[in-house]
Amino acid sequence: MGQRVLVCDDAIFMRTMIGDILTSAGYEVIGEAETGVQAIERYRDLKPDLVTMDIVMPDMGGIDAVRQIVQEDPNAKILMCSAMGQQALVVEAIQAGAKDFVVKPFQPSRVLEAVQRVLG
Amino acid sequence: MDVRRYADLFLAESREHLTAFNHLLLEWERDPASREPVGGIFRAVHSLKGMAATLGYTVVADLAHRAENLLDVLRGGAQPIAPPQLELLFRVADALESAVGAAVADRADATSDAALAAALDDEVARLAQGGARNAPRPPAAMPLPGAGKGPVVRVALRRDAALPGARALLVLRRAEALGTVQGLNPPLAEIGSDAFDGRFSFRLDGAAGPAAIEAALKGAGEVESVEVAPDGADAPRARHIRVDLRRLDGLMNLIGELVVARGRLASMGRRLAEPDLDDLVRHVSRLSESLQREIVAARMVPVWQVFDRFPRMVRDLARQTGRQVEFAVEGKEIELDRAILDEIAQPLVHLLRNAVDHGIEPPEERAARGKPPAGQVTLAAVRERSSVAIRVSDDGRGIDRGKLLRRSRELGLVAAGVGEMDDEELFRLLGQSGLSTAEQVSDVSGRGVGINAATTAVRTLGGTLEVHSEEGRGTTFTIRLPSTLAIVRALLARVGAEIYALPLTHVAEAVDPRHGELQRQDGRETLVLRGQPLPLLRLREALDVADGPPPARQPVIVLEMGERRSAVAVDALLGLHDIVVKPFDAPAGTRPVFSGATILDDGAPALILDAAGLIRAGA
Repeated sequence: MGQRVLVCDDAIFMRTMIGDILTSAGYEVIGEAETGVQAIERYRDLKPDLVTMDIVMPDMGGIDAVRQIVQEDPNAKILMCSAMGQQALVVEAIQAGAKDFVVKPFQPSRVLEAVQRVLG
Repeated sequence: MDVRRYADLFLAESREHLTAFNHLLLEWERDPASREPVGGIFRAVHSLKGMAATLGYTVVADLAHRAENLLDVLRGGAQPIAPPQLELLFRVADALESAVGAAVADRADATSDAALAAALDDEVARLAQGGARNAPRPPAAMPLPGAGKGPVVRVALRRDAALPGARALLVLRRAEALGTVQGLNPPLAEIGSDAFDGRFSFRLDGAAGPAAIEAALKGAGEVESVEVAPDGADAPRARHIRVDLRRLDGLMNLIGELVVARGRLASMGRRLAEPDLDDLVRHVSRLSESLQREIVAARMVPVWQVFDRFPRMVRDLARQTGRQVEFAVEGKEIELDRAILDEIAQPLVHLLRNAVDHGIEPPEERAARGKPPAGQVTLAAVRERSSVAIRVSDDGRGIDRGKLLRRSRELGLVAAGVGEMDDEELFRLLGQSGLSTAEQVSDVSGRGVGINAATTAVRTLGGTLEVHSEEGRGTTFTIRLPSTLAIVRALLARVGAEIYALPLTHVAEAVDPRHGELQRQDGRETLVLRGQPLPLLRLREALDVADGPPPARQPVIVLEMGERRSAVAVDALLGLHDIVVKPFDAPAGTRPVFSGATILDDGAPALILDAAGLIRAGA
């Protein structure tokens, strides 16, 4: 436990919610990002154990961010956060190197299961 | 397509699938909450459907399809199987069996069972209304993978899995880490579409075993089930082809001739004393021995191939006769020559029917005797020396000796003075055609021909049948069979001018009796071997041989069959030989101590002695 997580989402509400779910389960949220570009920079700085990544974000989308991060760190563990109906985008993200995904609306248990799978 | 060419193959494979079907149904009946059997049943029915449809056997295919629909719903549900549903499936198994038979035979009665079809459809419809929460998947079969190498992997995602296409991709990612994924069905493009129902299959060519594959794929999350089935055609350790049994029979006969020719060649070599010829003879001997071993091994099949149909039969019999029966099968993996196994099926049916119908008491009667209401019937195969023993035992009422004796007296089969009988005598009487202790002839058994027919069948195979019965405690029938036909290792013995062969199956040892080991006890000749007295039979006397005087010292062969031992004195022992057993239609009046005939190395015929007959004659 106590593994360090970077949470990337453009909505404060979502970041807060994901953060709460993870914190309550003993994970440590060590940083947040609102855009894809920010996500890449934070990843370089923080070297987190896990990244949660929204698919649709301003300036650079989540998928491009995944591609960039995985290129720099092939062992990066990235969990995609998606809405229903974004199957094609999730598939693309997985092909880009994301390890798993969760679908909004989030159920805490499913989020934690996915986190454990990715870190496991 | 020439359908007839495939009909035999279809029939053989269908029987395997139907056996599996029945077997799994029984398993399911024992444990209705179990989730295991339904998958196997589904696969059996699904395979049957595929084959039948290909061959245009629409009646079979249609019934299988409807059954598959029901099975698919049951597979998706969480409820234990209900008794009426099991009954329905048992009916399906029976109907499929007769439909398969009718279709292959091209019979006019190959018509569909409309009532059964309707019952299946109704059950599917009823279950479909079982509420949205527990809504079954639409009846669709698990896709089969396309061509490729490696075991077949079938994955079903949880029904509530979000974005199943993306989840399937994660599963495939994990599979790719284990090996090469081939033959994905449905193809990737379809998996990404909305129509994808979360079930897919592929072949995985890699080093990982089934358990490792299952664990890895389940790790992708939201996975309901992973099935890994080794693929017969591609798995490297199980490559099989089907061979017509007649070819193996033909091959076996040729080997038999070869063994005889080899023996003659060997004795010729000895006569000519030519070193080069000796080498060649030894080489040919080794080759033919290997060949013989291979052929014998190719003919061996595990007894479950026949035993597996019995649980269903016993269950049906128990129901029909109002008995409660717990049926156990042991030693399923023991192997027997295919030809023996085929012939032994019918006698076993007789004995099992006897056990259920005559042996096991009705539940009330058992309760009154302080026995558990369910009777125990056991079918067990055991390897003994070079023979195989098959036992059918029950813990029922045992054979009523008093009643059997009375009936036998009435029929004039025993003298009025006989008051007691041991198992041996009991068995002799049971075997008398027309004699039965069953009070009324039931549909199931009790016509008094069962034991007689079984004995004949077993003896034809060179085997023996024995009974042991204790009143109130139960009855055990033991069949002893050679594990293979045709070629057996035998001890050759000379008596007078004749040579006899004694199969090693029941030979315990051969001894040269020392002074004092041959005694007279209770007025009979006895061999006292290591302190144990054995009844001695002098073959010269038993066979009325009058060629000159017997040698001063006669070697003795000790026979052993189960618990019983007996000694047989001969003039000389001639060593061990592989003998080819020839079918033997004993003329009426032949002594019951011969079981067959063979041809010796020098081309002379020799009779094969029957150990069971000798033990009986010596006792």
